[in-house]
Amino acid sequence: MANLALDMITTSAILFIVASGLMIILGVMKLINFAHGAFLTVGGYAAYLTTEAGLSPWLAPLLAVAAGFGAGIIVERIIVRPLYHRPLDAILATWGLGIIIGQLITLGFGREVQFAASPMTGTLDLGGVEYSAYRLTLTAFAIAIGAALTALLYLTRFGLNARAVIMNETLARGVGIDSARVRSLTFGLGAGLACGAGALITPLLSVDPNMGLPWLVNSFMLVLVSGVSIPSLAVASLILGSAQVAVSTYVSPIIGGLTIVVLAAVLLRLYPKGLGRGM
Amino acid sequence: MACDGSGPVGTSPITRRVRRTALIGAAVATVVVATAPFQLDIYTKNVLIRAFFLAALAMTVDVLWGYTGILTFGQSAFFGIGAYACALVATHYGFGPFWFAGSFLIALLAAVAVAWLIGWLAFYHGASPLYASIVTLALPIVFVQLIFAGGRFTGSSSGISSFPSYYWSFETWFWIAGGYLIAVTVLGYLLVKSDFGRVLVAIRENEERCAYLGVPVSRVKILLMMAAGAIGAGAGFGYAAFTNVVAPELGGFLLGTELLIFTALGGRGTLIGPVLGTIGIDVTASYLSGSLPFLWKLITGVAFVVVIVLLPQGLIPILGQGLRRLWPWRRPALASEVALHSFAPTTPHGETPSAPLRTEGLRRHYGSLKVLDGIAIESRGSELLSIVGPNGAGKTTLMRCVSDGGERSSGQVFVNGTEIGRGTPQSVVALGIGRSFQNTNLFETLTVADCLMLARWRIDGASLFARRSEIALPRPAVGILEATGLDQALATETRNLSHGQKRGLELAMVLATEPSVLLLDEPTAGLTKAERTAIGDVLITLAREHGLSILLIEHDLDFVRDISDRIVVLHQGALLMEGTVDEVIASELVKAVYSGQTVEPAP
Repeated sequence: MANLALDMITTSAILFIVASGLMIILGVMKLINFAHGAFLTVGGYAAYLTTEAGLSPWLAPLLAVAAGFGAGIIVERIIVRPLYHRPLDAILATWGLGIIIGQLITLGFGREVQFAASPMTGTLDLGGVEYSAYRLTLTAFAIAIGAALTALLYLTRFGLNARAVIMNETLARGVGIDSARVRSLTFGLGAGLACGAGALITPLLSVDPNMGLPWLVNSFMLVLVSGVSIPSLAVASLILGSAQVAVSTYVSPIIGGLTIVVLAAVLLRLYPKGLGRGM
Repeated sequence: MACDGSGPVGTSPITRRVRRTALIGAAVATVVVATAPFQLDIYTKNVLIRAFFLAALAMTVDVLWGYTGILTFGQSAFFGIGAYACALVATHYGFGPFWFAGSFLIALLAAVAVAWLIGWLAFYHGASPLYASIVTLALPIVFVQLIFAGGRFTGSSSGISSFPSYYWSFETWFWIAGGYLIAVTVLGYLLVKSDFGRVLVAIRENEERCAYLGVPVSRVKILLMMAAGAIGAGAGFGYAAFTNVVAPELGGFLLGTELLIFTALGGRGTLIGPVLGTIGIDVTASYLSGSLPFLWKLITGVAFVVVIVLLPQGLIPILGQGLRRLWPWRRPALASEVALHSFAPTTPHGETPSAPLRTEGLRRHYGSLKVLDGIAIESRGSELLSIVGPNGAGKTTLMRCVSDGGERSSGQVFVNGTEIGRGTPQSVVALGIGRSFQNTNLFETLTVADCLMLARWRIDGASLFARRSEIALPRPAVGILEATGLDQALATETRNLSHGQKRGLELAMVLATEPSVLLLDEPTAGLTKAERTAIGDVLITLAREHGLSILLIEHDLDFVRDISDRIVVLHQGALLMEGTVDEVIASELVKAVYSGQTVEPAP
């Protein structure tokens, strides 16, 4: 029972980490980045390369964030900026970008499954329950990312500008906020978070050119259910993540893989605006 | 242009031209499909059969996405449903002509049922377009997982192979696949070129406005989804029967997105573009994926991004323009041959006991903010009732609450004696409400004639496979068209109209729905003095001679004074005062409100 509860909490934490980058971009830019899955994959390969180079696995997420941020800035300039007023087309264009990234990775690394070293192994003893130390560490990471994003939005000049753009972009531009710069940095941040998340989850899984796809779909559903708000993303991750673990445990792992998608579609039918409103 | 009485009924010139094009296209395609197998090697035939089935599927994606604006990721699921119906019945139950036909029927019925469920989920009134995409994205994922969960019955991840089927020659299958593609494409072409096709485009461009013209948007989308699902399942069935192999990927999310790529590259909203695009890309892919497997997918990805960003209309239309330049030939504009007829409107029951519009305790609040607080008003037939009040008084909210049952927080609204309940705008329109909007949000690419046809949908219907050659409108609507010169501009796309003409068309469209209660939100905003006077005269005629009950929101108090019978003053969501023009003009209370003083509403 305790194990199940820990599975639920850590799974939710992982979902939160993976979805945060998508949410930041949706919140500020009002567009859905379908290259999110590909950025996760890039993060996974960053972890793999770190392992191959013999560096400490702890460096992998940092390198991934840096690579993702840089790539995000470039992508925003070339592909996303012309599509601000065509949000459904932006979904398609970023999906196409995902294909490009996936094929470049395939050309570079082949299609086979690779592995990256885990920064920590073994279990922690939580009052009699042995549990994966790395999954518990990821939960701490999730809390740290949530806190850092909140601090970024509420305690910094960039956050103030970003919130202004979220609430009323026209007005924000009117009072002299460079909304193009806010968008560009946001996309970089979102892509960086996605790559970082990819590097963080890789030790639990394996690396292959399509590893990001299932995560993309789940993050997409989570973000729409939660709406743009960090606490409600945490709540949505907990609800849907726990449901997924419960269904996988008690019904079947295959149906468990469907839980988030189906539950999200039903929740959105009942609460079309998502669980949270505004940031 | 306009004349009284109805003209001869027959096929319109546009319909004739569309049918001729379809016939010529189908004839050419049939000749190509009939002779091609004798020129091609086995491999190419094999590849083309697959491409034909996929092209039929992509055609449905184009009708849904390109024409109607439903971005669907899930059309592949219907292909999968058709394929698995074929494979499962043949594997587990039996094979023979009856089993084969029966499993085809099962495929169609299953697809229609699933499409209905998806449509019911995704297309409720007020759903965002993104929600439909989410549901269609979930569909193939659910499909694949269910196949996985089916274990040995469905063959799980490895699929089912070598089930009994008809081992006809490649030529026969080539003709079946080609024939199916030609048939469904002709059907799709006739559909999108019909009156109904214009309704689909109108839904894409402005769904809300369609609902307020009485178009049952949700039902149209659901039916379209069901038809598209059935065509997709038919294609999947044929593909499975031909290859004798089914795998979960046939109904998967990746194929769903590939269909979008085919459609976008071929040219969305052109029908023939996605069909040719699918064939071209799928065949090229089959040849190149052997030698350059990853590079080919990379090239497709790059082409897709470039097309979405730079050439949203796709490649086939550009090719078409290039050909047009080499071989210049101009089509005569036929839309202008639509004839306008006018008829005398039935006078709305002036003596019926119930008021045309009555509200009781109407409230609308957003959280603790009360925008409307217990409004009780009653309009009468043959009366022009103006609603005035400073900005933020709740005037537009009032309009919204009486024309959409889902809007108000509490209270009752009666239209011609019937409570509107929680009805959608189109159900309220059916009770006799006609609403015009504050902004001139028309349908950009529709012509004036298309817009008028759309407004008549609720009464006259729209033909599925033909274009009408005449539109009959109630006389006041024709009057407005003539006054604004629109009767001479029936073939003009609405985005090219002047502001005054847009206002006129807006009003004519609302009148074309033959309402008994007319809700007008600032109909004269931005108009010249002459245009204002003309509209004022029309409104007076409508009320006096045709017995309409008109509710008018206006900021131009001189205009209000000139034409109103009665005035209602709203202030901060409450009814401040109600009276004749003179009473309201003379009221100190109203002057105080307009000069910005704080006043208590009358008890």
